Amino acid sequence: MQSKLADIELIEQTLAGNQSAYADLVKRHQRFVFTLALRFVKTREDAEEVAQDTFIKAYRSLTSFQQQAKFTTWLYTIVYTTAMTALRKKRLDTDSIDDENMYIQLENQGGFDTNNAENKSRSYYLNQAIAQLLPDDATIITLFYQGEQSLEEIAQTLGMEANTVKVKLFRARQRLKEKLERNLKHEVKELI
Amino acid sequence: MNSIEEKLWDYIDGTCTVEDRQAISLLIEQDEVYRRKYNELLELNKEFAAIELDEPPMAFTYNVMETIRSEHAQIPLKAAINNRIIKGIAAFFVLTITVILAIALANINWHTGSSAAPLKLNIPNISPYITGRYMQVFVFFDVVLGLYLFDAYLRKKAFAKTNITVQTDGQQKQQPE
Repeated sequence: MQSKLADIELIEQTLAGNQSAYADLVKRHQRFVFTLALRFVKTREDAEEVAQDTFIKAYRSLTSFQQQAKFTTWLYTIVYTTAMTALRKKRLDTDSIDDENMYIQLENQGGFDTNNAENKSRSYYLNQAIAQLLPDDATIITLFYQGEQSLEEIAQTLGMEANTVKVKLFRARQRLKEKLERNLKHEVKELI
Repeated sequence: MNSIEEKLWDYIDGTCTVEDRQAISLLIEQDEVYRRKYNELLELNKEFAAIELDEPPMAFTYNVMETIRSEHAQIPLKAAINNRIIKGIAAFFVLTITVILAIALANINWHTGSSAAPLKLNIPNISPYITGRYMQVFVFFDVVLGLYLFDAYLRKKAFAKTNITVQTDGQQKQQPE
């Protein structure tokens, strides 16, 4: 069955002219690519655009993919560069809003209602907290936990040293924990 | 110097050395502060790992493939033609012209002084070869070649059609979800 084919086999089929193999590859990775894009651009519409651009760019340069690294590492590098370009464009369009201020605003107007806290699931609070992180922190957390990438692979994706990624991951976890605690207030003690 | 938390994260991630691992393991066993912090971070680690991925719109794959297909359709015919075919045709013509030129030059009588003398070319007589049998072989070869090319064209067309059908099926399956 085609769904059991490895990424590399689907790539080979795509390169041989079978476009449906590429559709399978998109279906397989679309959730993660979309989530990763959402860590940068924050709105679903922009994330969809970034994710779509990523897959189109990947298709165009599939011949240049050298199978030394994992396909996902290569793909996430494209997500990262595409998202950074989209962010830069957006910054030019919107009178250069300071990132930190923008996220503080998001945090304040995030629609968080402590009265409903007990009705929300854990994943809701975590998603809320991760959405309040800076893009770099949220990306590292997502790549490490959801993408199951090693520190070396994340370093390759983000163009950093593995040690830098390690330090950034530690800080990102601390910030995520702080945001989570702040959001949950009294409930956090029961949750973690 | 590493904080307790940093050491414990390294321990949980498995990025510390064997010696560090043994030392931290011992600390967790013996030190209450370490043990409490370790359990707290372990819980947090499970929570982070359980963060769910966001779902893109249902027609996402279809939209991507549509864009790719429309880009393919926009490729000019000039770019779509296989370069090897063009090179093959060019090589055939170059070879033919070279052979004709070589035969012509080989048959010119360079010692003829007078330009008034009529130029006599020793063209090989090929009329015996243009017989019914040779013509039949020639036509048969042409027909076989024609059928082969026609078959290749139909196969290519059928393959493209199958791809489109697969894509359409994928989209139809996605829509009701």
